[in-house]
Order: sequence, then C-alpha cells, then structure tokens
Amino acid sequence: MIELKEISYVRFGTPDLQMAESFATSCLGLEVGDRSKKSLYLRSDDRAHTLCYTEGNPEEQAVGFEVDSEENLQAAAATLEALGHPVHSGTPAECAARMVKAFIGFKDPTGNSIELVVRPARSGRKFFPTRDIGITGFSHIGLFTTNPVRDEKFWTQVCNARVSDRIGDISLMRITAIHHTLAMAPGTKPGIQHVNHQVASNDDVLRSFYFLSGRNVPIVFGPGRHPTSGARFLYFTGPDGMTFEYSVGVDEIEDEETHRPRSFGFEPSSICMWGSKRVGQGIPVPAARQ
Amino acid sequence: MTNIPIVQVCYLRLGSPKVEESARFATDVLGLQRVGAVEGDVALRGDHLYHRICLTEGPPEQQSIGLELADEAHIEPARAVLQAAGFPVRDADANECKRRYVRQALITQDGSGNVIDLVARPAHSGRRYFPSRDAGITGLQGIGLRSTDLAKDLLFWTKLLDARISDRVGEITYLRIDERHHRIALYPSGRKGVMEIALDVESFDCIMQSNYFLRERQLKILHGPGRETASGQVFIRFQGPEDCLFSYVHGMREPRAGERPRQFSSKAESLCAWGSECADVPELSVPVT
Repeated sequence: MIELKEISYVRFGTPDLQMAESFATSCLGLEVGDRSKKSLYLRSDDRAHTLCYTEGNPEEQAVGFEVDSEENLQAAAATLEALGHPVHSGTPAECAARMVKAFIGFKDPTGNSIELVVRPARSGRKFFPTRDIGITGFSHIGLFTTNPVRDEKFWTQVCNARVSDRIGDISLMRITAIHHTLAMAPGTKPGIQHVNHQVASNDDVLRSFYFLSGRNVPIVFGPGRHPTSGARFLYFTGPDGMTFEYSVGVDEIEDEETHRPRSFGFEPSSICMWGSKRVGQGIPVPAARQ
Repeated sequence: MTNIPIVQVCYLRLGSPKVEESARFATDVLGLQRVGAVEGDVALRGDHLYHRICLTEGPPEQQSIGLELADEAHIEPARAVLQAAGFPVRDADANECKRRYVRQALITQDGSGNVIDLVARPAHSGRRYFPSRDAGITGLQGIGLRSTDLAKDLLFWTKLLDARISDRVGEITYLRIDERHHRIALYPSGRKGVMEIALDVESFDCIMQSNYFLRERQLKILHGPGRETASGQVFIRFQGPEDCLFSYVHGMREPRAGERPRQFSSKAESLCAWGSECADVPELSVPVT
C-alpha cells in the first residue's frame, strides 16, 4: 500500500501569471515564496510553497503528496506500474522546480496528474499573509472523478486513504486525522475541483465573505457549514475559473479502529447545514468548465 | 438617593394595526410561541418567562418597555427617585398589571418619552418554551431604543436607574445592567421608539441558518450576518411587520471588572467587525470607511 503522509502542493498552468499573482496575494492572501522566470511559488504556512503557478495551459494541473523515503517512492513506482499506471521519474530540473528531493508522477484512474514527492522543502521564514486573512495553511483539494466508486477503491486500496464520510457515492477521504484531504467531485474529465486553505476562525471566513464580495470576487457557495466535517466554509472563484475555499474547524478522526463512514444523501443540506445553496445550481455539482 | 436597580429587560409591548398578521410573523418567522392573552392582546414567549412580547391593537407608536425590579419593596424608592428628578410616574392599575402579567408596576418615561414600565414579580411559565420553528431562541438579549434627547436619556438610565455606559460608537451608547456587555443600546434619532428587539439564539449556526431561512422567504435583511464590534456578538438584523426591527444574536461578551468605556468612530466597521453595512436604517447607517 502506498503510504501518503501529507498533501504537499498543487501546480497550475496559467496564461496570465501576473493576474494569478495579483489574485493570490490581494484576494487569497498567500505570500510569494519564490519565483523563477515562468513560475510563481506561493506560501500558506511553514512550507516553502503550497501553490505553484507556471505560465502555460490552465488545464495542466497536478497535486503532490509526500511519501516518507526514496525507498518508499521506488516501491510505489513499482506498485503503480504493475497496476498499469505508467510512472514518470522526476528529472533533477523537475525536482528543483517542485522544491523536492525526488518525485514520481502518474495518472489516477480518472486521469488526474498525481505526484508523489520525497523531502519537500520547508521555509525558515515564518509565513506572513498579504492580507489579514488568518490562513493557517493549505489543507485539501477537491478532485474530479469520472467514476467515484472506482476511484475510491484506488485511493483506499492502492493508497492509504480512509473514507471519513460519503455524500451519495462521493467519498471524503483522509490520510491523516484530518477529516478529509481528498474530496471526490463528480466530473466528466480530470482536474482539481477546488483548493482549500484553512483559516483560524469563523471571523476570518465571514470577513472574507464581505471582503471578497466587495471586490466582486464571485462567491460560489457559502458562507456555510459542512455537516460532514463540521467546518465553516466559503467557496469563491479565482484565476482561470479555479474554485478556492476557506474553511475553519474541520473535524479530526482519532479512532481509526472504530470510525464508520456516514452516508449523506446527495442533496444541498448534505453539503451545507445552514442552508446555503451553490450559486447557479441547486446542488453542488461542478460547473461546466471552459 | 441610590439608583433604582434593574434586574432585566422583562418584556416589550408593541402596538400593531394588524395584530393577527404581526402574530403570524412572530410565530412563523421569529419562532416565538404564542400563549394565552387577555383583551385582544397576543402574548408571545421565547424562554422561561410567561411572555416576552405582547402585541396590542393600536398604532405602532403605542409601545412600552418592561424593566424588572428586584421585588415590590423597590417600588416606593423607585417612585421617589423618579418624582424627585421630575419624571412622570404613576401606578399601573389592576387591569394594566393583568395585561402585563406582573404583580405591580410603575409607569414612567425615559428622556425621549419612551414609555417604561418598572415591574415587580413578572410571571414565569410552568411549562417549557416550545418554539414555533427551530430558530434556537434562548431568550431576550436586549433592545435598541431611539433617543431624541441623549443627555436626558443617559440621566434616566445611569443616574436614576443603575445602568452603566459600556462603550460608544459615535454617540450610540451601549448600556450595561448585568454581566453582559449591554442590554440596552441608545441610538440618537429624530424620533423615539423601540428600534430593535434582539433575541438570543443557541449558537452561531442558528444565526447562519436564519440568514438563509430569511433569504429564502425574501424577508428583508437589514444588517449582517455580522459581528457587533463593541460587544462581540454575532447578529443578523431583519425587518419586522411594524416599525421595529428584530435581530438574532449570539455570543455577547461579558466585560471584565474595571473596563472603561471605549469610543469607536462612526464607521461601518464600528458596528460590524466583519464588514457588513446597513443602508436602510438611518440610526445604523454610519459612513463607510
């Protein structure tokens, strides 16, 4: 079984690096950690970077998960190849671009680009947000799946994810005690559905609602509260149509031995217990992508 | 002479030209429970007291605010204090006491002419409050009053009664009578009256649930959801059937001993720390930063 330790980063292509930087700093509140000629590295916590924008195609998206050692990385590569997922070993230049010692890249059953990384860099400098947002760090992603049942099997049997709860067939999976690091989202093609950063308090979520609304950032869902994880949330649209989320108060699941996933019906009250509705549609299915 | 000690804001009496319609709002929207009343009044409860709001047939200006005295022994000293300061005061007659569900009452006025009942022994209910909808109401947090004569009102509340100034936003004055940051808020205005009735709810969740509940029913949200800067309470203010607005609130802080009143500037951020603004209520429409 591939042991994923932590979610490390997301990588996005973008046609407009300047706009991405502007949004990421003035709206999201992330800090520029580093930049190269074509890439921008953004920080949200003590890691060297958790979001990387590179000049290019916005459909090129990847998520990185940390594994323990290069031995584990090689074992994971062997497992994946045996299962029929071709594996790409990161070149030194590619590793440097990701601020990791080593990595492999493969596609999950839906075709999402997944990277397993070893020794991702931390920063010596404390994270300082670009606005008073109270971000405590990059926490999880929503990942599109063209077959939720098949993909749940991949993440829970080939990798070490555990199902915390389900909404219909959509599973919310954890790799640590945090309720979920991977939220499946029904879709017609691969991609990252949303990027979540944790914030420190309800005040941060609600302040952001008024701050972002005041700057005409589209609020697509919330402010609300997930009955699954208990977290108070806000979803909004960023560069290239990507959905970003702030949330606070995600439950932790300590009793690995006895926890049983709950089943929620696929309906609005299963996603928000306060009654907010996703803008544009009655239930939170992903909007058609450009 | 010592100040008249007030235990709590006990009840509100609100005039309505359409009592039944207002009563429906109070049950279906607010979530208060209707209880038996006399002479065409509609009485509503939201906690252990027999009633917190009484709707009476009449114009919306016909209002009074019930404040509880510790007991009947405080009635005579209260009368003396009010008379010595030149405020009108009379005894409520038997029928008035019956309609107010109190044993005894003095009827007086604040500095703006808002009718104030000083009451003794208000009725409690034997039964549990059963809400008309799951709004999570736990009781009456307090009131907002429009003030046409702030100096005289402050004399009434802090020199005659035992309220203390908690904080100010411009000239908006928050008054404390117990452990909570404030129970009465005075809003300078061109006219008198009860501006706001704040109902305490169980949790922040309840405030947000009500936010979406009200929006779904296209009821006018006037301010919030927000966080009152001076008091820390989360709030949502919405239009009632008459002049008065209602709010659900939660989480008001209890100031430590010795805290001195702070002055906040007249800005939207001084009324809501999250950034919400109120355009439609003149007394709450402060300049945006």
